[in-house]
Amino acid sequence: MEKKEGRKIVESLGCLAGERDEEEEEIEIEQHKGDGTDLGGEEVEMEYGGGREGGGMNGNGNGGGGSAWAGALSPAARYAESGGASLTWENLTAVLPGAGGRATKKLVQGLYGYAVPGRVVAIMGPSGSGKSTLLDALSGRLARNVLLTGKVLLNGKKRRLDYGVVAYVTQENVLLGTLTVRETVTYSALLRLPSTMSKAEVRRVVDDTLDEMGLRECADRNIGNWHLRGISGGEKKRLSIALEILTRPRLLFLDEPTSGLDSAAAFSVIETLRQLAVDGGRTIVSSVHQPSSEVFALFDDLCLLSSGECVYFGDAKLAPQFFAETGFPCPSRRNPSDHFLRCVNADFDDVAAAMKGSMKLRAEADFDPLLKYSTSEIRERLVDKYRISEYAMMVRNTIHEISKIEGVIEEVVMGSQASWCKQLTTLTRRSFTNMSRDFGYYWLRIVIYVLMAVCLGTIYYDVGTSYAAIQARASCGGFVSGFMTFMSIGGFPSFIEEMKMFTLERQNGHYGVAAYIISNFLSSMPFLLAVSWASASITYWMVKFRPGFSYFAFFALNLYGGVSVIESLMMIISALVPNFLMGLILGAGVIGIMMLTSGFFRLLPELPKIFWRYPVSYIVYGSWGLKGAYKNDLIGLEFEPMMPGQPKLTGEYIITKMMGLSLNHSKWLDLSMIFVLLFAYRLIFFLVLKAKEAAAPYIRVAYTRFTIKRLERRASFRKTLAMSSMSKRHNQPHPMAVQEGLNSPLPY
Amino acid sequence: MKKQGGVGAAAVAAAGMVKAELEDVGKAAGGAGAAVVALSPLSETLWREKAAAEFLGDVSARLAWRDLTVTVVLGGGGGGGGETTQDVLQGLTGHAEPGTITALMGPSGSGKSTLLDALAGRLAANAFLDGTVLLNGRKANLSFGAAAYVTQDDNLIGTLTVRETISYSARLRLPDKMPMEEKRALVEGTIVEMGLQDCADTVVGNWHLRGISGGEKRRVSIALEILMRPRLLFLDEPTSGLDSASAFFVTQTLRGLARDGRTVIASIHQPSSEVFELFDRLYLLSGGKTVYFGLASEACQFFAEAGFPCPPLRNPSDHFLRCINADFDKVKATLKGSMKRRFERSDDPLDRIMTSEAIRRLITYYKNSQYYFSAQQKVNEMARVKGTVLDAGGSQASFWMQAFTLTKRSFINMSRDFGYYWLRLIIYIVVTVCIGTIYLNVGTGYSSILARGACASFVFGFVTFMSIGGFPSFVEDMKVFQRERLNGHYGVLAFVISNTISAMPFLILITFISGTMCYFMVHLHPGFTHYLFFVLCLYASVTVVESLMMAIASVIPNFLMGIIIGAGIQRKISFGNGQGIFMLVSGYFRLPHDIPKPFWRYPMSYISFHYWALQGQYQNDLKGLVFDNQDDELPKIPGEYILENVFQIDVSRSKWLDLAVLFSMIFIYRLLFFAMIKVSEDVTPWVRGYVARRRVQAQQGKGTTRRRGRGAELAAARSPSLRAYVVDADDDLPPA
Repeated sequence: MEKKEGRKIVESLGCLAGERDEEEEEIEIEQHKGDGTDLGGEEVEMEYGGGREGGGMNGNGNGGGGSAWAGALSPAARYAESGGASLTWENLTAVLPGAGGRATKKLVQGLYGYAVPGRVVAIMGPSGSGKSTLLDALSGRLARNVLLTGKVLLNGKKRRLDYGVVAYVTQENVLLGTLTVRETVTYSALLRLPSTMSKAEVRRVVDDTLDEMGLRECADRNIGNWHLRGISGGEKKRLSIALEILTRPRLLFLDEPTSGLDSAAAFSVIETLRQLAVDGGRTIVSSVHQPSSEVFALFDDLCLLSSGECVYFGDAKLAPQFFAETGFPCPSRRNPSDHFLRCVNADFDDVAAAMKGSMKLRAEADFDPLLKYSTSEIRERLVDKYRISEYAMMVRNTIHEISKIEGVIEEVVMGSQASWCKQLTTLTRRSFTNMSRDFGYYWLRIVIYVLMAVCLGTIYYDVGTSYAAIQARASCGGFVSGFMTFMSIGGFPSFIEEMKMFTLERQNGHYGVAAYIISNFLSSMPFLLAVSWASASITYWMVKFRPGFSYFAFFALNLYGGVSVIESLMMIISALVPNFLMGLILGAGVIGIMMLTSGFFRLLPELPKIFWRYPVSYIVYGSWGLKGAYKNDLIGLEFEPMMPGQPKLTGEYIITKMMGLSLNHSKWLDLSMIFVLLFAYRLIFFLVLKAKEAAAPYIRVAYTRFTIKRLERRASFRKTLAMSSMSKRHNQPHPMAVQEGLNSPLPY
Repeated sequence: MKKQGGVGAAAVAAAGMVKAELEDVGKAAGGAGAAVVALSPLSETLWREKAAAEFLGDVSARLAWRDLTVTVVLGGGGGGGGETTQDVLQGLTGHAEPGTITALMGPSGSGKSTLLDALAGRLAANAFLDGTVLLNGRKANLSFGAAAYVTQDDNLIGTLTVRETISYSARLRLPDKMPMEEKRALVEGTIVEMGLQDCADTVVGNWHLRGISGGEKRRVSIALEILMRPRLLFLDEPTSGLDSASAFFVTQTLRGLARDGRTVIASIHQPSSEVFELFDRLYLLSGGKTVYFGLASEACQFFAEAGFPCPPLRNPSDHFLRCINADFDKVKATLKGSMKRRFERSDDPLDRIMTSEAIRRLITYYKNSQYYFSAQQKVNEMARVKGTVLDAGGSQASFWMQAFTLTKRSFINMSRDFGYYWLRLIIYIVVTVCIGTIYLNVGTGYSSILARGACASFVFGFVTFMSIGGFPSFVEDMKVFQRERLNGHYGVLAFVISNTISAMPFLILITFISGTMCYFMVHLHPGFTHYLFFVLCLYASVTVVESLMMAIASVIPNFLMGIIIGAGIQRKISFGNGQGIFMLVSGYFRLPHDIPKPFWRYPMSYISFHYWALQGQYQNDLKGLVFDNQDDELPKIPGEYILENVFQIDVSRSKWLDLAVLFSMIFIYRLLFFAMIKVSEDVTPWVRGYVARRRVQAQQGKGTTRRRGRGAELAAARSPSLRAYVVDADDDLPPA
């Protein structure tokens, strides 16, 4: 969420940098109060203006050369006639209103265009040119504080495009690395397709989708994560697209599907997209950053943006012609898209300026004819030329024609169509599969727990009933409930991966929060039981705690309760702090405090009454666990006294006098309190996730304001922005280990 | 340049020199490609220093290589028979001349990085080189200094500004004798040369600090390497991950460096049209074989002659890669399987034949073309002319200068990096406040005996555990160290010493603040020496943990990495685990006499620093105090009695002795850290090389024809490489 927001700001700032003063104009926002369709949403300030009062150029276009296409339908409109989803947008302007006395920022401005079935539209432009804003505006994913004016029509009708109606493939692939390709698609299908569909039908849909995306060959391979080698980047991207087309949307948006891929992989992705468009009659809009020659040749329509303004919209094949007519012909040994970007990318001005400062005046300075003009000059000429060109007129005519065509679009149900139970079982199965295959999730911990248990067992081997054994038994219990549970933080990285997955799928409405939490609990239960059972039995038999099966069962259940409470706590923390390191520190700190108040390091009656005793020691599982463990172990045993000859000490005496605990309630009550706590923590987890969802828009707005403020305070932000493409979109997504600076510091 | 004005005459002169250099070369660089080698006056001073005042004639670097073959031995998963050898490069011939920039291009997995490493003498231990690499006509062992190597990832210290980064690096490596002003002028000159003026005072940026852009980072990395004025510059994918404008700028800068008479060789992946136009020579590889070597501008012609003309409106480099990237075959096969309707793509000849066929045709065509013969001829010519021996060695600064500079740099980094120590200070204070309130005014009641023991054990056990918070920053530090170490900037000892010294003030600050808070809130044994002991003991414990962590960080990757990749997390767990066990045997959870003798008491409890810290602290705290007994009638209990009977501590040993043991542990762990780095640097590659050699020999025994004697010899003398060769045919991920 925040990432997306940051990007938008950056784009807006980039736009600001390139903005010319004379273009500052009032933005009229038409209020459509009586509009039947609920365009506005709750606080969404998205209003689609009705009229075409965009400017004189409009009439200009119709009066002038429009006659050339007056007779027949334009080629693009003919595609639209074939049925499917045709999207048109007219005079689209998005502004970020300036809060607190700052000027408003135009993200995109006066854009016209269309997307018709069977064709792939590429939105291109240098970083910060507003291509993601346009994509978000068309797909209805704009941030809430961005004002949108203009018209976006789907099959000639205004409608709100929201999650579920259209498919939107994000730049980052969020996938569970341990699943195979087919499993991923199948689980996603089960989560979202109607529960009424039979198994065979679902399998057919999955197989069709795999075929369509060319994933058949790698269908049974793992996706791969930080310690597993899996499918390639291109295949991952195609898999992400496959997940989105499962519900057969007519309209598909993609955010830079080729970023981070090499030329062959990028080619395969875009070629597949083309097939989706041609074979499936889908409408595809994709933003793209620096495509290679082959990839560029695959696009049908091109929308070239610079600083929020349209430099070119129309058939991609005709774009070089337009540039040639304007006076910037593309050299024959050049990738047209490189050439276009070179012409409109203001960064090159800065490069030229910086080089002039540092480089020697070289005789070869004239190797690039474009260096004669500054990029901003070129850009201005192109924008002005385009506005009055035949290409612009053609676009407007086409829009007009398309909007006249009556298209029918079937209603697509939002989100998931599967029943709640279906979602729960699917999620549980998926989560269980993931846990059982991810070595770092539970297996590693089982190994560590067993090792710890062996250490503990040898140190306290056959503890006996001497006087010193009293303290030994107590500290063994303290160590088990304290340190053994401590190791739960080891699963943290996997939790964070899972939270990422959850956030994305939740956004797309695949399932509910409750289903997720319950499935997580259910799928982790077998592993936690195994962990606690294994380590409990080792410790129990080696130390020779009080014999008897019920005592052993209590010991193991107590450990299980403790481990799962800590696990829940860790889930809450991972929902609150997305950063691995912060989570680790916070988790360690909280567990440390829990240990301190559990009654081992300081006896419960001696804890300071305010805060530590009430309420902390009661909401901490440790005190209950320790009480239960003492009662379980000591009651009924007799120990040697300190001095020989004195009467033997009974377990009851030790608990009441030495531990300061009361024997009013049974150990089973203590155990049940742990499970009550477990339930409470899960409930808190649920509430936290719900609250996060509710608060997300407000946080986003606040974050936007904060970021803008901070960036503005930086003296050189314009410069840096222009040079650096701070847009997060162009940073290659790194594996988590690299992000957190945790990969190996030495060669291996 | 103007800001140098006031510094002094020398600075002005030095600055002038830089300018003179710039202008000089500007005049000279008339004919591109021709060997215009006017060595800058500035670098000449450096060189002359080295070559004992004898005037060097032509110090440019002419690199030629002939019949270069690199074989990689791949371990087949532990077992005996699984290993295979694979020729990653096969019979490559080529050359690079001063004043030009040569691009090594090819699809992923074609061997371009291997060629770069082979030329730079940085092959991994399991790769063997056959053939000749000649520098100025002599068989060259390309040592650091004569050649610089810029790696793909920019490991820079995030909290320093660009200028600081460069000037610290200069101080680390330039000779001590060189006046400060001259060094500064050199730094300024480098900044200007790399076009970094605008961001010179911006911080580089790290995981929580937003700094300069990727393109700028890359240029800083290059600036660091050209500080010593190398004549030969190797770059591994300098444009990867950069957008077109930044990539263009970086390449343009490289071209500028080349035009100054340097020889620049860069491997490159998918350059854009503008970037491609900046290269002078092109070396195109596919599957380890030469597809084309010659002028970049003539490559189009070559492809046209071979029957694959570049279509109009296409980036030539895209076209070349399209022709020789075998992945396209796979893509096409996949698509054909899923395609419902065939696209009628007509005129492209590549749609009609398989890419593998195209590659085969191109390679054959090249073998018989004039390009190949002229390259051969040129290499032979270059081999005959014996030129200057270029050897500048690594750092020229003295050990003390290095240690001092490193300490200063490290200190500045620590003080600016929030995550390194400041975050921990906050955490420590929070934890201490919690402990302090829980044990507030512990007193001398009967129950306070155990409370005091628990308090001490918690402080030394848990508080020190929180040291893991500094781990990521420390790992970042290690990465920088690794890069600089590989490039020979300084020694391991200097690094260890500087790290120890620079961390000291922070650790003292942290432990004194939290120790003081804890001491006075809990009201431990009054008296200044008792206070001092407590705080010192805490300081020693934290430092031991820190040192232990470093030693673990440096050793674990080497031994466990094969099993668990991407550790860090694992490292933390095992570390936590170790700590847990140390705590277990420290004498609190189980009394010293009860700990099982064989393993846990000797040696574990003696290795555990908790044991010593607790022994000392119990004595410090309890000795001399008198506690209430269970009942008021019973006599009061003296601390000594408790020490002996309850905590089972040897009272005859002085507490200061325990403290001394702790401090010696610090020393030992640091020594271990030092040794670990040395081992991973020297021994491990040697062992790997040895194993690989044995494997090759075994292969030969089985009847492989090639001889490898010399290659194996070279392997031992080779500098370590960052790269581990994993050859995998179906890898279409770009090298990220």
